Order: sequence, then structure tokens, then C-alpha cells
Amino acid sequence: MNFFRAAAVLAFAGVAAFSTAQAPAPAAKKPAAPAANSCIDCHLALDDQRVTPPAKAFADDIHAKAGFTCVFCHGGNAAAEDQELAHDAKKGFIGKPTHAQIPEICGKCHSDAAAMKHFNPSLRTDQLSEYRTSGHGKKLAKGDQDVAECASCHGAHGIQHVKDTRSPVSPTRVAQTCNGCHGNDALMKKHNLPSDAYAKWTKSVHYAARAKGDASAPTCNSCHGNHGAAPPEVASVANVCGTCHATFAEKLKTSPHWEPFQEMGLPGCVVCHDNHGIVRPSEAFLGTGPEGKCSSCHDAGSPGAKGAEAMRASLTALAKETAVTRETLDRAAEAGMEVSKVRFELGQSDDALTKARGNVHLFRVAAVREDTDAGLKIAKTAHKAAIKKLQERDYRRNGLFVSLGLIFLTMVALVVKIRTSSP
Amino acid sequence: MAKRSPSSSPEDLSPLAAAREWARDRFAVEDLQHLAAKKQVPVHRYTVFYYLGGMALFLFLVQVATGILLLLYYRPSSTEAFESVQYMMADVPFGWLIRSIHSWGANVFVGVVFIHAISVFFLKAYRAPREMTWVTGALLLFLALGFGFSGYLLPWNTLAYFATKVGTDVPAQVPVIGHLLSRILRGGSDVTGATLSRFYGLHVAILPAITTVFLGLHLLLVQRQGMSVPRKIEREGGPPKTMPFVPAFLMRDMVGWLAAIGVLAALAAFFPWELGVKADPFAPAPAGIRPEWFFLWTFQGLKYLPATVLGIPGETLGVLFLGAVAAIFVLIPILDRKLSRAWNAAAILLLIGAAILTVLALMPVKGAA
Amino acid sequence: MSWLLGTSVGATIAAFVYPIVRYLVPPESSEPSLTEFELDVKASDVRPNSGRIVPVGGKPVLLFRTAGGELKALTAKCTHLDCTVQYREARSDIWCACHNGTYDTKGTNVSGPPPRPLKPLEVKVRGEKITLKLA
Repeated sequence: MNFFRAAAVLAFAGVAAFSTAQAPAPAAKKPAAPAANSCIDCHLALDDQRVTPPAKAFADDIHAKAGFTCVFCHGGNAAAEDQELAHDAKKGFIGKPTHAQIPEICGKCHSDAAAMKHFNPSLRTDQLSEYRTSGHGKKLAKGDQDVAECASCHGAHGIQHVKDTRSPVSPTRVAQTCNGCHGNDALMKKHNLPSDAYAKWTKSVHYAARAKGDASAPTCNSCHGNHGAAPPEVASVANVCGTCHATFAEKLKTSPHWEPFQEMGLPGCVVCHDNHGIVRPSEAFLGTGPEGKCSSCHDAGSPGAKGAEAMRASLTALAKETAVTRETLDRAAEAGMEVSKVRFELGQSDDALTKARGNVHLFRVAAVREDTDAGLKIAKTAHKAAIKKLQERDYRRNGLFVSLGLIFLTMVALVVKIRTSSP
Repeated sequence: MAKRSPSSSPEDLSPLAAAREWARDRFAVEDLQHLAAKKQVPVHRYTVFYYLGGMALFLFLVQVATGILLLLYYRPSSTEAFESVQYMMADVPFGWLIRSIHSWGANVFVGVVFIHAISVFFLKAYRAPREMTWVTGALLLFLALGFGFSGYLLPWNTLAYFATKVGTDVPAQVPVIGHLLSRILRGGSDVTGATLSRFYGLHVAILPAITTVFLGLHLLLVQRQGMSVPRKIEREGGPPKTMPFVPAFLMRDMVGWLAAIGVLAALAAFFPWELGVKADPFAPAPAGIRPEWFFLWTFQGLKYLPATVLGIPGETLGVLFLGAVAAIFVLIPILDRKLSRAWNAAAILLLIGAAILTVLALMPVKGAA
Repeated sequence: MSWLLGTSVGATIAAFVYPIVRYLVPPESSEPSLTEFELDVKASDVRPNSGRIVPVGGKPVLLFRTAGGELKALTAKCTHLDCTVQYREARSDIWCACHNGTYDTKGTNVSGPPPRPLKPLEVKVRGEKITLKLA
């Protein structure tokens, strides 16, 4: 150990510093296994806060397992044991890359389709070009040192496959990775961005769905993209939400709201549903009341507000009728009546309500009424059936009272007989 | 017996009298009629307890009748049992009535049997010469519990399935033969459709057959020996007051029976017996499973047992204790005779009886809490 | 008095016998079964390339006839979030309107969020009578 150090110091003393940065080593072909990796050996041996942890972490790295070593990214000479020779700028050594250098370093392999075919044929090779279109990429090109580049999200030395849960960009962890910067108040303020996206998202239905195990619910990259990450353009919001919520986007686009939204530059679905803090919608959204979403454009009493109130009234009426019928059925069931058939039919009323709620996005009262009327018919029929079940229960009780009356009569007759016949 | 010629003219007799004549001519029921007419029931301030035996018998017959009716629609297979009971409750006319009477009746029947046993114990009606009446009665009590336990599984709902699982774990604690016993009971190592078949066979064939034998013995003994009179009453002396069994006692019996069937019908209409959800062996046991009330005392008692005592597992001790209690229960007449030399020993026996009863009564309350 | 006793005893016995006699007569509805279900829909009512929801054991089932004429049945609860699916005539496939999940006529989840396929039921047709059996 000490001999090493001594030799290194002596060598260093005699070498002029050729420290101009040069281009790193040329694009990699299939790496020939180096005889030894002096980088790791030396950096581990040095036991230094700055250089030892990366060396340790790299053992687990996906690139290490494919046979890549330090020189492929950092340049230099892995065979040399002498520090200066190892750090030889003529061999392409660049030391710790700058933020601006990193995308180009990663891209030198990851944008080369022919090269990637050797290692992972199904992996895409357009990440770098996508990155250049992203908010991060554009700012990095202008010299912003705060923005994310490859290593900020993927890590530098312990890189895992995206599907590995240890990776900071695996679907279960990517939101927290984004939040590392996008939740930092000071940093976001500096860039004029909100810092509450993650906090709002954790209160949303999408977060709750993911927590329940539904991996199809969106996290940050689902709507913003991965490498080309940027908020959707105002005009495209409906398209983004519409990749899953297709029917609602379609309906919105045919509704009377669509053109005004486009003209006013309003972000489609987000106008009523918010972007990150998307909560379970309710009938209360319709109208100019406290929870109503319409008052930002429609004054109370205006035709638009009236239309919203009408839709809300239809939906509430159907929901109420269904609830009342369900409660009646529960009472009948508790009294011992068999209600599964009626309950099934009432389920169709639930379906009608779901359809009607979807049709709200057409923003035409008639469209909503069509489904609520059909649903009300079903609910009313079911209600009648439920009442009939209760009547059947009463019939049983009446029958019982008749029988009890007869039994009582017989008992009275017997008692009289006993009284009159006993000595 | 002098042969009588069939009665001549039918017009001189009412239909009832004519029927009686007809039976007498063919079945020679004269001596039986004589016995029935002669049978007297002692009348004193404890006479009311005499009705309990007849009530238990009546409720048993109600169970048999409703049980046979249920047999017509019930399907004893784990895939169809629950659905067949559901069908009975929903679609079969008055199926709900028959089933609820059977389920409520089972509980009322076991309750009345317990009260009957307790009243006989405190009235000391088990004294000589009625020891065998007590022994057959004790066996009938065990049979009643067996009916309750086997019948409980038959609807194959979640509660029944898990209660049976827990219940059939108890015999497994018997030393040496425990696991064999449990296997025989379950028809396998776990509660499955095989268990359902076995319990069904027990409930509708094996237990009824055994009950018929012991019930017949029990009733025969009661008829042969007449009703026991408590010693306290005997010592009071005076002329023995009696009432004829037919018609006086029987009519009073019938008043009670009518009241009982009325109560059962009311329970069926106002508190129909729940069916719940079909048993799913793969689902976790629901919270708060407990056996029927008449087994709550064992269930609760098992909870108080320590894990091991002197190296013997606690549950084994519990099972052995249960066996001891059952043995003592059957042998009470003999124990009483041995102890009744000194009057305070008899009082001790009474006190022990009262103490056990209090514990038995409180445990279900604790268990249900 | 005896008359009153006789009549009331008779009436009480009648009140017991009446339910028992009614009980003994089996009802019209089919026997209870966990595995086989007879449908009210007639086979000829289901046109080619159309489908409908039928209740089977309290749960919705999609009964449909392919364009080729084959009558099939699949469970109708979407494996994503339990919405009821529908037969889509325009594409002869099965679609869930809630989040655009799509299944083929075999029930396989081909696109969208559904994680698992729909379960098929065995369809037996005798004349106009359709019986579904849980596979």
C-alpha cells in the first residue's frame, strides 16, 4: 500500500500536467476483457470518500456485468498501475464528467443501434435524441447546471435495469426520483416551477390505484414521457389523458367545450380535474356551487350554469333512487327474503349511472338525461320488486299471527276443558 | 282373553267410539288402555317440572318431522349443500318456515334437555330405582349435543365450516387415539366434503338409530316406574295427591306443546335463521368464529388452559377434564348413593352441582362477549 | 265447549298441514345448481356478431354470437377494475368502456390495462334452450 503511494508520488513529481480535456475513448466494440482493472484496484485501496464508493458500487452495475469497465466512460489506461499513466489524458481520461458531457458519454453507446444489438437488441436507441427535445435537455444545452441528465436519474455507478426495483427509475420509484428535484422548493422557485406536484399526486386516485397494485395507473413518466420529459402542451392534454380515458376524451372533443378551450388555450381535462391532484369526481363538480368547477367561466344563472345544474339534478335523482331501492332490499334481506335477482337488476341501474356520468363530458343535458331516464326506469321497477319482497315478509307475519291466534284459541279451549273436568 | 265378536250395528256408536271398537277388536289394546287409564301423576309444588321431559320429547319429534321435510330438498355434497338450503329459503313454498323451525328448534330442544337434566338433578329424581333412567338420559343429552354438532355443518356456510374445523380439533387432543378419532370424525385429515358426508350420515341415520334405542329405554323406564317424588315432599306425609295421566296431565302437556310450537313459528317469522355465505376453505377464518351456544363453555374453557402443565399439553388436559366431567355426569346416581350416607355430603354434591352450573352459564356469556 | 275444542284443534292442525302440503309441491324454478345455469334468452334471439349481458348466479356474463355464428360466453367483469364489458360489433371484439381495455372473442386481454383474460363458460344449446356451465 505505502509502496504504491510512494511510487505514485515519485512519478507524479516528474510528470508535466497534460491536463487539457480530450475526447474520451472511441465508441466501444465488444470489450476485450482487460487483464486487470487498475482503476478499481487502486480506487478501492485508497479508501477515500470521493473515489472509493463509486468503485464499490460499480461491482453491481449492469454495465460491469456486460464487461464494461471504467475506461469506457472515463477514459484512461486500465492496465497502468501508476496513477499518472492511468489518468493519462492522451488515453482519453476525463476524470469526473461535467453535466453537459454525461449525455454524450452515455449516448455514444446507447444511440448506436448496431452496438446495442450486441448487448440488448430490444432496447431503444433514441433516448439521447429524445432527451435533447426535453425540458431538461434544452436547458442543459443552454448551460443550466441544475437540470437532470442521465446520471441524475439512472445513477452513475450502480446502474440497474429499469425493471429492477433497485433502479431509481423503476416504475415504483420513478416518482420519488423526480420529486428529488421537483419537490425542492428553493430549486423549483429558482426555475419558476411549482414544487407540489408529487405531494398533490400522492393524494390522487392514480396514486391510490398504484398503491392497490394497479400498475396501469399513471406515474410521472406515464404522462410526461421518460427521456423527452416535458409537460404536455395545453392543446395535447386531452390526448394524454385520453390514452387511457379514451371515451371521455372523445366525448370532450365533440362537446361544445372543445373549441372554446382550444381558443382560450385552456388545458382540456385539467380545467375540471386538475393535473396532479386528480381526485374522485362527484356530482358536486357540476354547477357554480362551492365544489362546482363551472364558475370560472359561467356566471350563476347563465345557460351554461343552468345546463350544469340540470345534469347534476338528473344524476343525483338516479343515484338517490338506486340508493333507496338498495336500502329497501337490504331491509328485505335482513328479514330473511331472497333478493339476489332484484339486486342483479339494480346493478344495471348502477351501469346506467356510470354511463350517464361519462356522458357529462358531452356537456349536453339531453345526452345525460337519456341514460338517467333509462336508469330510473330500471331503478323504479326494482324498487317495486323490493316493496313486493317487504310485502311478502308482511304476508308471512300475518300468516303467523293467524296461526298463533288458532294455537292460542286451542290452548284456551284446552285450559277451560282442564278446569271444568278436574275434580 | 275372551274373543269378542265384532260389534253389530254401527249406528249406535259415534265415529270416535266406533274407531275405538275397531282398534280394540284387532289390536287387543285393552290392557294398554287400562294401563293408560291407571297411570297417575303426583301433584305437589314441584309438579311443574314433570312437564319438561314431555316438552323435550315433543321438541325432538318436531325436529324429526321438520328434518324429514328438509331431507326432501337438501343435497349433502359440498358443491350443492349451500345452494340447496338457499333454494329452500328462497324458492320452496314455506321452505323458510320449515328450515327456521328446525334451526331454532334445535337450540330450544337442547336448552330444554339441559333444563330437564338440571331439574332432575336438583330434585334428585335419579335416586334408586331410577339410576338407569338417569344414565340413559345422560346418554340422550350427549346424543342431543351430537345432533347439534353434526347438523350445524350441513348448510356448509363459512360459520359452520370454521366452527366444525375448530370443533373437530378437540378430539385430536385425546392422548394416544386422538388423531385417529379426529380422522374418523372428519373423514380425512381436514374438514372437506367427506366430512359433510359423514356428518350427514351421523345426523340422519346413525344418531337417530341410537337415539331411538335409548329414548325407547328411557321412556319405557319412566312408564314402568312412574314419576319420582322428591324426598322433601315424601317426608311431609299426608295423603298422596295425584292426577290421572290421561286426560288431565296430557292436556296440560298439550298446552305447553302448543305454546312451544307457537314460539318456534314466531321465531321463524321474526328472526329467520341466517344462511350467510358459502364456505370457502381457502379463505382465512373470519374474525369471531364461535361454536353454537351449547358448546361455548368448552370453547371458552379451552382459552383459559395454560399451554403446558407439568409437560402435558394444556389442550390434552382440557380434553381429559371434559371426559372426567362427562363420566361424573353419567355416574351421578352412584356417586350420590355413596355420598348420601352423611346428609352434608349430599349438600356438598348439590353445591358442587350449583357451582359447575354457574361456571357453565357464565362461560358462554364471557365467550359471546 | 268440546265443540270449541274440537274445532280449534282441527283448525290448528289444518294450519300445520297447509304449509307442509305446499312445501311438498316443488316450485316451478329449476333445481339449484352451482355449475349449470339455464338462460331465459332463446338461442335464436342472439344474432351473429352481437352480444348481451345475462345474469348467471348473480354475476354478469357476456353471451355473444361471433360473426361466424358460434355461440360463446365469457365472464363479463373486466379484470382491470370490475366494470361490465360489452361486445363491440364494429370490431367483433370485446371492449371495456371504462379504460379502453380490449379482449378478443376468446377472452384474451389484447390491449389496455386489463391484466388477465376473461374466463370462458361452456355453452350448451338444445334447440332454443341455452345452458351455461362453469368451465
